[in-house]
Amino acid sequence: MTQKEKESLLKRIEKGLHEYYVAPYRRSFARAQRDEDDLFMLLVFAESMGIPNPAAYYTLELLPLVYDRFHEWHKRMGMERSPLDHIGCC
Amino acid sequence: MLLKLATTKKILFFGGKGGVGKTTVSAATAAACANLGAKVLLVSTDPAHNLGHLFDRSIGGKPTRIAAGLDALELDPHETVNTHLKEISSSLHRLMPTNLYSEVDKHITLAKDAPGMHEAAILERMADVVEEGLKDYDKIIFDTAPSGHTARLMVLPEVMSAWTEGLIKRREKADRFAEFVRELGEDTSMQDKTIGNADDSEQERESGIRQILLRRRHKFHHLRERVADSEMTSFVIVLAAERLPVLETVELHEQLKQANISVDCLVVNKRAPIDSGDFLRERQEQEEIHLATLSNKLPALPKQDIFLRPHDIVGLAAIERMAGQLD
Repeated sequence: MTQKEKESLLKRIEKGLHEYYVAPYRRSFARAQRDEDDLFMLLVFAESMGIPNPAAYYTLELLPLVYDRFHEWHKRMGMERSPLDHIGCC
Repeated sequence: MLLKLATTKKILFFGGKGGVGKTTVSAATAAACANLGAKVLLVSTDPAHNLGHLFDRSIGGKPTRIAAGLDALELDPHETVNTHLKEISSSLHRLMPTNLYSEVDKHITLAKDAPGMHEAAILERMADVVEEGLKDYDKIIFDTAPSGHTARLMVLPEVMSAWTEGLIKRREKADRFAEFVRELGEDTSMQDKTIGNADDSEQERESGIRQILLRRRHKFHHLRERVADSEMTSFVIVLAAERLPVLETVELHEQLKQANISVDCLVVNKRAPIDSGDFLRERQEQEEIHLATLSNKLPALPKQDIFLRPHDIVGLAAIERMAGQLD
């Protein structure tokens, strides 16, 4: 094993250990962010889901921005098709 | 009294029970201010617009010249809602495949009649009028819809500010999480499942959402600041000297107080003249009883009487005559 190979092995171990420690944190933060995003989307779609929305006029203008996330959301929730009749994203 | 108050404020609201003469009194006040040399914009926020009927001419959603120094405008919630929705549907069309356009339009059409839609549209136009109007005019006078509707409209800027504030906070929180994730290095395990693709398009979307929310917040803040500024803005309650208008006035005053809006004058419209026969004198005595109740409940507020006239007040000439009697 040359010096170079040794270094690269150490690098790989270091990287692996870093991943080992960091990954759970990253996963929790990513999950927390996803939850926030879902909540936000729920607020935007509130009226469509039968939740009275005091600000329908204003949430509506956010609709174009969360439309693509809606599709990703219902797939993730195990629904093949859009659960809302009038929002046909697929 | 009324005119003196009007000359010291930049924004004046006229409200009160239906049928007491808000439109007439606000038009007369606007005309009187214009006669004193101010540039005045008279705005109706009542969806059942009466300014046109009063001046006996058509007035629309754009400022219309009525007399020298006096423009009038009727806020049109239908038009505002339609424009708003058209913008949203066109930006949705850009995102969606052509075959789904009808789905998008279905959603948008349903939204058109959602509760609160018209209210929000009026609020939006009111915010625009206050922000833009003060550049071109010295004074903006609002002729509002009957009490309940208006009391709600006056607290809306506050409610909506809180709402946007809440959403912005949540977005900031989500942003911080995304920031942590980025700092913790590349995400290989959950790329598709959690944050989607945390790339440019994601950040673009994020900044789009932020932009819209911040623009909203600015609008609501601006309107709320102006409306709650008692140096600049005042609310005048118009009433008739009858039992129900008096009771409603007391209630409206309380609601406005809670919304931090200063009421500085009461206008008692259509008072019975004393010197016109027994019938009207008796009526006048009855009115004094109701006004005593009013003074009892709202002792600090100055009152301006406007007397009943034999003829209808229609058209600019009649408004000008009435304006001449204000002090």
